[in-house]
Amino acid sequence: MKKHLTIVALLAALALVAAACGGDEEEPAETGATGATGATGETAGFTQGGVVREELTDFGFTNGFDPTGEYLGTAWSWYQQMLIRGLLTYPGRAGAEGNLQVPDLATDLGQVSADGLTITFTLKDGIMFGPPVNREITSQDIAFAFQRINTESLIAQYGNYYCGTIVGMDCSAKSQDEPIEGIETPDDKTIVFTLERPTGDMIYRLAQPATYAIPQEVAGCFDKAGDYGRYLIASGPYMINGSDQLDITSCDTLEPISGYDPDKFMQLVRNPNWDPETDDVRLANFDGWVLNINSNIEDSYNKLLNGELDLLHGAPPAAFLQQYLTNPDLQDNFFSEEGDRTWYITMNLLVPPFDDVNVRKAANYIVDKAAMLQATGGESSGLIATTIEPPSVLPDLADYDPYATPNSAGDVDLAKAAMAESKYDSDGDGVCDDPVCDNVLMINRNYEPWSEYTPILQDNFAEIGINLKIRELDVSTAYTTIQTTENLIPIAVNAGWGKDYGSPFGFNFFLFNTAGDSCEGSVNYSHIGMGEDLAKECGPKTLAAWNAVTDNGANPLPNVDADMDACVALPTGPEYNACWAALDQKLMEEIVPWVPYRWGAANIAIGDTVENYQFDQSAGLIAYSQIAVTNGLTPEELFGA
Amino acid sequence: MSQVTDDEIAEATEQLGVEPSSAIIGRTPWQIFWSRFRKDRVALGAAGFLVFLVLVALFAPVIAEHVVHHGPNDLYRETLSDIGLPEVGPSVEFWFGVDTSGRDVFVRTIYGARTSLIVALLATGVAVLLGIILGSLAGFHGGWVDTVISRTIDIILSLPVLLFSIGIAATCSITAEGCLGGLVEPGVSLVTMIIALFTWPYIGRIVRGQVLSIREKEFIEAARSIGARSSRIMFRDILPNLAAPIIVYGTLIIPSNILFEAALSFLGVGIPPDTPSWGRMISEASRGQLYTVAWWMLLFPGIALVLTTLAFNLVGDGLRDALDPRTQVTG
Repeated sequence: MKKHLTIVALLAALALVAAACGGDEEEPAETGATGATGATGETAGFTQGGVVREELTDFGFTNGFDPTGEYLGTAWSWYQQMLIRGLLTYPGRAGAEGNLQVPDLATDLGQVSADGLTITFTLKDGIMFGPPVNREITSQDIAFAFQRINTESLIAQYGNYYCGTIVGMDCSAKSQDEPIEGIETPDDKTIVFTLERPTGDMIYRLAQPATYAIPQEVAGCFDKAGDYGRYLIASGPYMINGSDQLDITSCDTLEPISGYDPDKFMQLVRNPNWDPETDDVRLANFDGWVLNINSNIEDSYNKLLNGELDLLHGAPPAAFLQQYLTNPDLQDNFFSEEGDRTWYITMNLLVPPFDDVNVRKAANYIVDKAAMLQATGGESSGLIATTIEPPSVLPDLADYDPYATPNSAGDVDLAKAAMAESKYDSDGDGVCDDPVCDNVLMINRNYEPWSEYTPILQDNFAEIGINLKIRELDVSTAYTTIQTTENLIPIAVNAGWGKDYGSPFGFNFFLFNTAGDSCEGSVNYSHIGMGEDLAKECGPKTLAAWNAVTDNGANPLPNVDADMDACVALPTGPEYNACWAALDQKLMEEIVPWVPYRWGAANIAIGDTVENYQFDQSAGLIAYSQIAVTNGLTPEELFGA
Repeated sequence: MSQVTDDEIAEATEQLGVEPSSAIIGRTPWQIFWSRFRKDRVALGAAGFLVFLVLVALFAPVIAEHVVHHGPNDLYRETLSDIGLPEVGPSVEFWFGVDTSGRDVFVRTIYGARTSLIVALLATGVAVLLGIILGSLAGFHGGWVDTVISRTIDIILSLPVLLFSIGIAATCSITAEGCLGGLVEPGVSLVTMIIALFTWPYIGRIVRGQVLSIREKEFIEAARSIGARSSRIMFRDILPNLAAPIIVYGTLIIPSNILFEAALSFLGVGIPPDTPSWGRMISEASRGQLYTVAWWMLLFPGIALVLTTLAFNLVGDGLRDALDPRTQVTG
């Protein structure tokens, strides 16, 4: 009996073990994605396959999706997380960690020489361009990207990060073929940058998408800004659907890739040449991604709630926001992440009454920032801004509030005290009595939540005697209106500014440096540091205003170029941040170009199909390199890949 | 309509030696019109509503201040939730509820009546004036004058109205003074100008057609043959005969102009945000499915717009029936 029991027990144990081993239903993943490790070393155990479905009201590209000039944060996310690779990239994480570079094509973060003037990178082996280029990426492909930045006709919109910093780059080359003196490629795997001066945050600039590998055999055919975008060659885990159909025998045989229609959609499918062994960052869990343009935002949110979409970026309309905040089934599907973005009211130093710094200070005291936040959707839309740089970019200023008012609701007494010092308040009662305060034009956007700011600001400024005439325009018209210097717009609330990259220089540079000021396309809306030459160039009204404000040049406008140069020379670290913090304080207390009112949150709403939600701090969107979807759809059924 | 007056009949009857009979009483055209119109109960009711509307619009500031104690742009932000949604619907304090800025919807609705009426009546007035002048010039003179004016009418009628309106409004929004040296700035003046610009051709065409047909009638020939000058013919013989169609079509254009203004405001073009306008209120209520949360923002301006437009249409129909001698009036 005992013998039988032992055999039965053994058999039972064997059976149990067999059942445990045989019960594994997981198929090995396609193209090795399961084995990939994320930046933190986790093994991906997430659902493989499926197609991520998203909608937007508009692509909004600033440069036709050509990486050389494209300035839209959304495009940067798609480049970095899915489509193309450069020396450095970002890990697809939230918080400070997400703003720090990791090596991508390079083997490390670069070797900087002792004098800080040269940086050397070595490329990894075996990383290929996708179809139809199908060859290994070399250091010349990186150098070529910089040659494109340097080419005048391609209008690299943030070219000033490189021109004037890398030896031989001045952003005025006539052809993409012109080599750059300060960029050497001794062999296929090595690239050496030589700088004009030590530049502490150069490593940030080398992680920007304009610098990513571009194949000359395709991009060389396009020397006008924005054209290459429809022919983008992939190097990441995904490529634009139809890339393999591109005929690259000559420039004349090229036709735009079918999977990207600038008015309607973008479809991505897997890049067969992407080798996960070479990629420490991207998990590439899904099989495809599709973004459709849908001008009806309510329709998009209804689809998301129905399961016809997987995620949506952006602030939901209030009625939907209400659902996401109060419905227990939806609360876990909605995120408000630090957006590294400041929303602000900009004042023009050339136009009365804002040529008087006391009036600008009064503006900072009178604006009811709490009401503006409430109108934007409350806490889910971000934090009340008290200074220029958001704390996620410059943590030193987290408690700095130079124009503090109770509950951030504005304070009439403090505002009047400031206004009383102004030359436009002749009787010192705190209310402007000069005719320049009547009919002051203010530009705003014409949709929610900006249109909600109009009554609030009208009320606020009336209390200090400034009678605003608020004009609401669509977003692009609003921007071009304030960017055209000759329009001399006194004050505007349509603008926001997101960091270019996670260092304070990458936030502030174009906004307050004379390099950001111009006649069309200025982003230094306050015209800090404007000199007579630029005033003359922009037109008679600008020159007249400039002469009036500077007393024909006797009292020049405040200028922070030198302050910025001093900060830029420092290596990144505490001293660097302290330098920028001091500049922020100078701007807020002495120059006062802005009333910052909100540090914007990035809102993301996801469906139940999304797994491993992560936020990519660098570009401010969902971390496509990390997420998975459980919808089980295939690119073939959705868009015939 | 006949030009013969009561006095002339009496005089003629006397000259013929006939006693003015009590059985036949001559009436002026206006008396005829009024007795016919009076019998149309529906049109009368609609006219009554319009009178009420005009009174409400006229006394809106008085009502707002002394009856309701809220201004059209007073912000009562305590009625809003943390995320800016209106939490107060129709109630004792806010008869029509509040909007997303915390403003009283009832007060804005009655102020909106002022906007709609002023814009529609002003724009229609300008359009009718332009239409009469240019249409009669075209019809009466013919030749190249007619060609130029008629082609202008054709061109304007084929322009994409909304695109142009948006473009003009955007251009005139860039400076505080607006366009044409301050004459046209975003607001009532701009919207009125746009509406007048696009609707005068309708009147112009009708007037031109009427003038063309009247011009051929015998009494015009008679006047000409006794040496009457063109201007006399125009003012004494032709224009008075246009009164009826102009009144009718003018009245019928008003509701479409009200809707035109509402459409422009709906698109955010024209009437600035601080001036209440039904179109803008409807637009604000429709964005982001706000009406699912605050139905009162949509219902009240919507009803006001529908009733006003309907009333003008009914009155216009009634006018046409009463003025056209060919239609039978029952009752």
